[in-house]
Amino acid sequence: METRRLVLTLTGIAVALIVVLGGLTIALLATGGGDDDATSGDGATEDGDAEPTPQLPERVEGELRLFGADPITLDPACASDADSAEYIVEIFSGLVSFDRNLKVIPDIAQSYDVSPDGKVYTFHLRNNVIFHDGSRRVVADDFKFSIERALNPDTQSTVGEVYLDDIAGADEFIAGSATEVSGIKALNDDTLEITIKEPIVYFLDKLTYPTSYVVDRREVGDATCFEGADWTLSPNGTGPFKMKDWVLGERIELEANPGFHLDPKPSLQQVTYLLAGGSALVMYENDEIDITGVGVNDIDRIRDSNEPLNAEYQTGGTMDTSYIGFNTVEPPFDDVRVRQALAMATDRQLVSETVLKDLAIPATGVLPPGIPGYNENLEGLPFDPEAARALLDEAGGPALFEDVTLLTSGQGAAPSEALAAITALWEENLGVSIPIEQEEFGIFLRDIDQGNFTMFSLGWIADYPDPQNFLEIKLHSESADNETFYSNPEVDNLLNQARTSADEAERIRLYQEAEELIIEDAPWVPLFHGQYNALVKPYVNDFLLPPFVIPRLRYVSIER
Amino acid sequence: MNQAELSVGTRETDQFRPARSLRFLRRLLRRPVAVAAIVVIITIYGAGVLAPFIAPFDFDKTDLRNTFAGPSGEHWLGTDRLGRDVLSRLIWSAQTTVIISALVVVGGSLILGVSLGLTSGYLGGSVDNVIMRLADALYSVPTFLLILIINATMGDRVDSLFRDLEDLTGIGGLERSGAPNFFLLSVALSIFGWVGMARLVRSQVLSLREANFVLAARAMGGSTPRILFRHLFPQLTNLMVVAITLSLGAVALAEVSLTFLGLGVEDHASFGIMIAQYAGPTSVRAHPLLIFAPTVIVALLMLSFNLLGDALTDILSPRRR
Amino acid sequence: MQGLASYVLRRLLLVPLVLFVVSVVTFALGRYAPSDYVEIQAGPRARPETIERIREERGLNDPIYEQYARYVSNFVQGDFGESVRYRGVDVEDVILPRLWVTLQYNAVVLVLTFAIGIPVGTWAALRRGTWMDPFSIGTLVLFASVPVLVSVPLLQWLFAVKLGWLPTGGWHERNILGVEIGILSKQAILPIGALTLVGVAGIARYMRSQVLDVLDQDYVRTARAKGLNEAPVVIRHVVRNALLPIATLVAFDLAGLFTGALILETLLGIPGIGLYAFESISSRDYDSIMAIVLLGALVFQLAMLAVDIAYGFIDPRIRLSAEARR
Repeated sequence: METRRLVLTLTGIAVALIVVLGGLTIALLATGGGDDDATSGDGATEDGDAEPTPQLPERVEGELRLFGADPITLDPACASDADSAEYIVEIFSGLVSFDRNLKVIPDIAQSYDVSPDGKVYTFHLRNNVIFHDGSRRVVADDFKFSIERALNPDTQSTVGEVYLDDIAGADEFIAGSATEVSGIKALNDDTLEITIKEPIVYFLDKLTYPTSYVVDRREVGDATCFEGADWTLSPNGTGPFKMKDWVLGERIELEANPGFHLDPKPSLQQVTYLLAGGSALVMYENDEIDITGVGVNDIDRIRDSNEPLNAEYQTGGTMDTSYIGFNTVEPPFDDVRVRQALAMATDRQLVSETVLKDLAIPATGVLPPGIPGYNENLEGLPFDPEAARALLDEAGGPALFEDVTLLTSGQGAAPSEALAAITALWEENLGVSIPIEQEEFGIFLRDIDQGNFTMFSLGWIADYPDPQNFLEIKLHSESADNETFYSNPEVDNLLNQARTSADEAERIRLYQEAEELIIEDAPWVPLFHGQYNALVKPYVNDFLLPPFVIPRLRYVSIER
Repeated sequence: MNQAELSVGTRETDQFRPARSLRFLRRLLRRPVAVAAIVVIITIYGAGVLAPFIAPFDFDKTDLRNTFAGPSGEHWLGTDRLGRDVLSRLIWSAQTTVIISALVVVGGSLILGVSLGLTSGYLGGSVDNVIMRLADALYSVPTFLLILIINATMGDRVDSLFRDLEDLTGIGGLERSGAPNFFLLSVALSIFGWVGMARLVRSQVLSLREANFVLAARAMGGSTPRILFRHLFPQLTNLMVVAITLSLGAVALAEVSLTFLGLGVEDHASFGIMIAQYAGPTSVRAHPLLIFAPTVIVALLMLSFNLLGDALTDILSPRRR
Repeated sequence: MQGLASYVLRRLLLVPLVLFVVSVVTFALGRYAPSDYVEIQAGPRARPETIERIREERGLNDPIYEQYARYVSNFVQGDFGESVRYRGVDVEDVILPRLWVTLQYNAVVLVLTFAIGIPVGTWAALRRGTWMDPFSIGTLVLFASVPVLVSVPLLQWLFAVKLGWLPTGGWHERNILGVEIGILSKQAILPIGALTLVGVAGIARYMRSQVLDVLDQDYVRTARAKGLNEAPVVIRHVVRNALLPIATLVAFDLAGLFTGALILETLLGIPGIGLYAFESISSRDYDSIMAIVLLGALVFQLAMLAVDIAYGFIDPRIRLSAEARR
């Protein structure tokens, strides 16, 4: 009995406490918004319109705010995705880089010479590149360390060899028969010599990719991509921006590196990426962030010249191609007529207009606009459902498609709407019903690799602005990334010639000829080329919308 | 989602009195609120069952020249981004919910739950112990998380299972029809869904076990299964009806939630898909009807299940109100 | 109290057993899944031989009991693994801040639910017979049954898009006296509001039925007939009767913390434990998945045990019958 009374009394007190606390909490919440001052001068409400006060830390002078995604890793030797790369190119730097016109420019290497046979690159490093912590300058040996680290199998990087195995001696190093990469030599503190196996002309382009960027060996030690990777949370890089704060899942703050070695030096003081949720467009409209993308729900409104936001709308190409690939060595797609029939029954224009609201452009060829060699006169296979049907009947008719499925990666409950529209149109125009099969990304890649598919949907973004990156890597018969098993000796020949030719105009001609043959053969049905559609505040100057990841924040300035 | 919602059988239901035959139904129908709830449920589920006959369009019939259309004579609720008829998609989504609910109720609650409950209650001893421990264990884990994990990891294997089945039986098109996906989802939900029913049945069996008619049957040499099914089972029917009704709402919500996250039904119409596609702020602003349609239906359905459940609990529990 | 102590002990002993079974099942599910984090994060240009080599080196091809043994031996030494979603970060360093986020707003919801629900329910009971009673029941049932999946998009539309009073989502924490507090930011209002609506309705309905029960009791009517103030009597009995299930509800809330938050956090982009659980499943972050599931199971079991003990304390009948059942 006594215990019961005690318990009951205690409980009564607890309930009373809860009620009181509850009241306090409500009071706190109600006033919680008042602490943050509106930093935009017109914080006062005007005509009763709700003007919400920002609920994020007060803006610093010269701060840019935008949405971002959580990177998987900030280790340049390990990053394989664009989200990570976006931060890495600002925090770290390499021998060479892209400028805002997508030209290769010297970065940490002040200048470079190429030997007459095109195989030996000599980089003369600047002597004033200092790590962010101010401890010391970057020397050639640091690059040797960083590049070898990326190639070292112990590091367990999946991208090291992809971008760096053109270097002589890399294969032996990876295989374990050599303890260093013979093709990389630090002649002295200021000079780095790299020898490559073949005189490929786009080698410098590949060096602009994060994989060859320099890291601080004293910070990194023997960390691999997975073990000991916590150094990446506060990386000691050499880039235009330093890591100021990273609250996992919430925000990343970068601050300017005043000692950056290139001009223009960063003008922004701080860049804040918001990683948590919320609608970017709505926050942009509320002046809480400075840059946002525009999606299919708002693009019509934004494109209307009567809409005030229209003045802030910017758009540009993203140098990518989404496509449908066929398994060209197995029926039914080993028959070129079947492939051509499907290609000619694909109404990209309609899908682009209606489903995508012209957020992307219909693709005719493999190469996207903006890339040297892009052929705007390429005719390709026209949209002609009747011809398509005739061709298909000639090859065997819709019965051929009994076991055909369109493989795509994703884990949503429904596949992408564009694909759904395309398959629906195939049924309408060609009478073939091809179901879409979604697979998780890892399994999808594995199935593609093993040839376990009839057709698939995928995309490819340029790593560097050279047609080789598309045509040779994806469609040369000996390329590891040729998922469709496409093999055309004539095309191979053209691509081989173009790889090492020093004459730029000649290369373009060769690649364009190859592209025409490829489109005719239809191992791919190119679907769309992507576009950036963004709103940028008028007080933000020179915010680039590059077609692929390049360092861009140091060109941006804010005028308020 | 509340843990309690996922399996029936909190301490409350342990105290249910078995009502005489189905008399409670008459009392139920005298409450206007319960009647309204039943009508709503029957309408929505009925639409789902009759979907092939009453849906004006297929759930994936696209019409690219007529996207984001407002309500019209041809499309009573307008069309979505691909020009698909919203009303039809609602009806086909109801069908998905009906199918999953039916599978889980039959598979999980009825087959698994009842039989395990009967066995456990009647046989007692170590069998009872094992089954109840298992129930406890299943009950004490984050069920939603585990279902997510199961769906995320087992999808591929179930596909190949069905492929083998196709080869074995010669029945083609099994894998394509989407059956593996429904199967996996139902199994995953059933694994956790049988606990409530089993506990319920078991406690009733325990109290009935020593009843006279059972003793008599045993004295006359009746075998265990016979006694279980001929004598105890009929006593439980009303309880089971109640339990099933209470759990149907939870199962429907689970299906919608899982599909919303992308780990439930695929490639068919589902309320979860409709909500997932049109739930963001910019979408809601531009096309409010596309989010209102599925959310209102789901809200109505859950509301009705709740009201019905309340009414049933009121009628059958020993408390007065 | 002798019976109670041994009962508690017996229950406590079961906890590790259940955790073991749960860990084995979850581990098996994760490892038998057809893909893994190496494959998923390898990038589109990675070579299959390289992926395979790395998988081998990281022990992903080892027999499953070996992998499990390794995991357990690390676990008992306090090493819960590293996240692969955030390379280089220990699992506990990711989970704890996320857990803190979810705990914060759920704690506020809990407090508000009772602070508002109890008075509202009582008030509704006292209005029995007037039009306000069925009206209040109606609204309460409505709020209680609409799931978060449905209410949040609608609330978001109304308060964030149409009226612009609230942010559309996200989360921001401020440092107050050394602690990162997120619930004082505007981003917290929508999630707290959505969950409180549901919770308040449930509590209010329950309180209402409790109060009505007590009001009908003989001793209350006696007091009323005698002209005595019935309030203290009512309150005392309501408190006693309502206590148990409220304790159960609190325990359920705690237990359902991990999974309940998922949909809400996905819709609003709140970096809590629910969203992280979902992200971990998608990225095959085995160590994080194991940690979250085990933690969730542990919390749930302890919560259930606490409820059972409370039951035992407060109502001896139940304790005895529970013991008889075992």
